[in-house]
Amino acid sequence: MSVSDEELMAFADGELDAQRRAIIQAAVEADEALQRRVEAHRRMRTKLADAFSGVLSEDMPARLRAAAAGEAQSAEVVQLGARRSARWSMREWGAMGASLAAGWLIAVGLFTSTTPALKTDGDGLVASGVLSRALDTQLASDEAGAVRVGLSFRAQSGDYCRTFSLTQNDVSGLACRERQSWRVLVTAREQNAGEVRMASAPAIMDSVDQIIEGEPLDAEAERQARDRGWR
Amino acid sequence: MPSADQIRSDIAALVPRLRRFARALTGQVADADDVVQTAVERALMRLDQFEPGTRLEAWLYSIVRNAWIDEARSRQRRAKVFAPAELGEQVGDDAAATAHARLEAGEVWAAMRRLPEEQREAVALVCVEGFAYREAADALGVPIGTLTSRLARGREALQRMLGETT
Repeated sequence: MSVSDEELMAFADGELDAQRRAIIQAAVEADEALQRRVEAHRRMRTKLADAFSGVLSEDMPARLRAAAAGEAQSAEVVQLGARRSARWSMREWGAMGASLAAGWLIAVGLFTSTTPALKTDGDGLVASGVLSRALDTQLASDEAGAVRVGLSFRAQSGDYCRTFSLTQNDVSGLACRERQSWRVLVTAREQNAGEVRMASAPAIMDSVDQIIEGEPLDAEAERQARDRGWR
Repeated sequence: MPSADQIRSDIAALVPRLRRFARALTGQVADADDVVQTAVERALMRLDQFEPGTRLEAWLYSIVRNAWIDEARSRQRRAKVFAPAELGEQVGDDAAATAHARLEAGEVWAAMRRLPEEQREAVALVCVEGFAYREAADALGVPIGTLTSRLARGREALQRMLGETT
């Protein structure tokens, strides 16, 4: 009996109705070549499933968690912080590269205005002026002026860190307390909604994921940390 | 009828599988996650378009697939996406796998990328995601006979590429 490859495939996949299945079953049992073809179909299916099964156990990127939590790509960091749940992966401080593109920071005037919000020192970027003051004193629940503060948390190093966005420049970032100043670890430019590429808030959240210890501070803990001078 | 909150949480729970499907479709890690991100955002914006009683999976998979089609078309990047040079990057991603398994997965990924789009999506839905033929045909919006024929041609091509003889 000649069996079409499509029907043999459907047989191997368990997709035939009872009547056709019985007919093909009988044909396969009587013909070694058909048996080999059925086995080849099943092996191929297993091989394909195995080749992609590892994806299921990979860590979920923060931007996908944010998307699934209903955070649009242009979502404010403060909203991401309020809703985010458990951290998924623990990596080292050192894994966080400087994702700073100095060119566009200059382009948006963050260094060059008379009262810059960012300045450089030997090690990179530190908050200055209005940003430094906001990180020192402003709470996430405060009305945003030039700076909106997002979530605050303790890093694995023990230092306090806070996310922020500069409302006039569409720039957001993550800064951590270092002695008397705030070291800016990551900055990202907000992007318009509707673009496929990763926007800034998820980029910042990725960095938060890498360094956070436990959960973000709630409003009360944030206030207490502020009152203690972030020490 | 499930609440919108219930559907949202069901969608969130399906994201790992959507990533796997997108990986099989795009053959590329970053593109796959872009596509899933776009699809999840679209799905949440269009929750009202989900028909209760139909399978949430099928609805989401079709959104992922459409997001990929849009993405590939709008950027005209298929040529780049499917460049063999990217293979090493993808294969190296799964640190837990043994060297042999990685090698084998890499061969499968490479072979998948060489399939025509319509065969690749049929194979991805049935062989990677475990959809029944009927479900896969519905998700792709084609008759079941069309699905079966694309699936058979895709698998035949994969068997040739992967050196499986019958």
